[in-house]
Amino acid sequence: MSFTPLPPVPEEFQVLSMMHNIGAITPERSLTPDELAMWTGIEILTVRDCLQRLRELGYVEHLEVSGVEKYHVTKIGIMKVLTLYS
Amino acid sequence: MQKLHIQRKEINPTLMDEMGFQAAIGVVEVLYPLLCKSMNVLTMFPHAEGWHLLKVAMISWEYPPRIVGGIARHLEGLARALVKQGHEVHVFTLDFPGAPEYEEIGGIRVYRTRSEVGHPNFLSWVLLFNHFIEKRLATVSKSLEFDVLHVHDWLTAPCSIGFKHFVNKPMVFTAHSTEHGRSGLHIPDSFTIDGLEWWATYEAGRVIVTSNAMKHEVCGHFHIPWEKVEIIPNAIDPSIYQGAVDKWAVRSRYGIQPHEKLVLCVGRLVPQKGVEYFIHAVAILARRRPEAKFIIVGDGWYRDHLEWVANTTGQRWRITFTGFIPDHDLIALTKSADAMVVPSIYEPFGIVALEGMAAGVPVVASQVGGLTEFIEHDRTGVLVYPRNPESIAWGVEHVLSNPDHGRWLVQNALEVVQKSFSWEAIAKKTSRVYEEVMGKRGEKA
Repeated sequence: MSFTPLPPVPEEFQVLSMMHNIGAITPERSLTPDELAMWTGIEILTVRDCLQRLRELGYVEHLEVSGVEKYHVTKIGIMKVLTLYS
Repeated sequence: MQKLHIQRKEINPTLMDEMGFQAAIGVVEVLYPLLCKSMNVLTMFPHAEGWHLLKVAMISWEYPPRIVGGIARHLEGLARALVKQGHEVHVFTLDFPGAPEYEEIGGIRVYRTRSEVGHPNFLSWVLLFNHFIEKRLATVSKSLEFDVLHVHDWLTAPCSIGFKHFVNKPMVFTAHSTEHGRSGLHIPDSFTIDGLEWWATYEAGRVIVTSNAMKHEVCGHFHIPWEKVEIIPNAIDPSIYQGAVDKWAVRSRYGIQPHEKLVLCVGRLVPQKGVEYFIHAVAILARRRPEAKFIIVGDGWYRDHLEWVANTTGQRWRITFTGFIPDHDLIALTKSADAMVVPSIYEPFGIVALEGMAAGVPVVASQVGGLTEFIEHDRTGVLVYPRNPESIAWGVEHVLSNPDHGRWLVQNALEVVQKSFSWEAIAKKTSRVYEEVMGKRGEKA
């Protein structure tokens, strides 16, 4: 069975996937952009850009806890991530 | 009524001497079927006759509301039907925001487990959550003796295999698809996944697949004996498609005018679903059927690419990408469509086509995998060449331009769905596989 070369997985999708895999899937388990950059090894500016786009698409949710911005994957975001693996 | 579902091992022999015990068993064996018959419950619990009411541990990474692909729905339908037959089904799965850690729904006990440790790498994460599910299995099994373990796909194979050896119970593995078929073996992770799939087929007493195509794929690729693999197709509940739908109201919500034709494509937006070829077919169909509009339901990592492809066709305005939509909306939309296209390039079964058939919409599907086993060309649907936009366009035009023929296809398709794809039948076949592996328990768990 031959397959045509696949396009690379978009960068924001990689960030979304990593957020999911490290467990940031509920408000109480949400993480700051700095924490996400450390966990994923991705540049903080790239993480911020991706989070912005993912927010617009409804795949992550933003909240502020004591003035600190945190992010977690939404239910639709979880389902989007899991399509990569099934 | 519940008291009648007593199993041999649930009768405590310490409460009576050996003779008394045997006599009691004899009396119950004679009286139980008679009682059941007189109360007309044998159809409800067909396995009651054989005294094989089982405690089944189902293990899967998805179960509603955590729905990734077809596995969650398959599990839910199978579990419900097994419970209806009198079996006890315990589902072990991953957590999902808002879903309780434990619940009993319609007799199905669902244990959702949170992975306390994560890792950005997918495979590492999978192996970590397997540890937590295995721990949950071990905890529950302290007060409950399972008769059989049933694992679905490789994602929960490591915990199931470990648990199988720990409790010395037989294991059944359902291979819903293979990594080799889904994406080819092209990166290190794929080879590991392929290895885990092989390991599960090796450790299982029996392997279940959903189509003859999958049986060939699994036996050929993993080199496992032909007789070890059982084909048990997917099923659906046709009753959910029986309610009335205001077709015109549904279509207008998606901007479809009364004179326009609605062509629907449903699935995860991943390469193996072949949606790219469907989008290229839109450009061809737009010339031949200018009144046609196209709706693509679903989401996935490939969506950006597909939207880009749609932009290149010059027909983007005809195509709507809805993303994920609720089940009731999907049913209404399917019932309101003029044709459904399933353009897959790899399809172990293709339950979405079966859903289209049950909803009464003519189905145009690729001639691949399981789709060819329940769609008879030009009798219950239309089969087209995979990876071939021209062929897809021909198939769609064939049903749109012959409404009477389309209705005939739908009528034939409905008969097939109702006759051969009920959950009751699938659960009976599955419990027979359970009984077989339990019979082999002494040889190889």
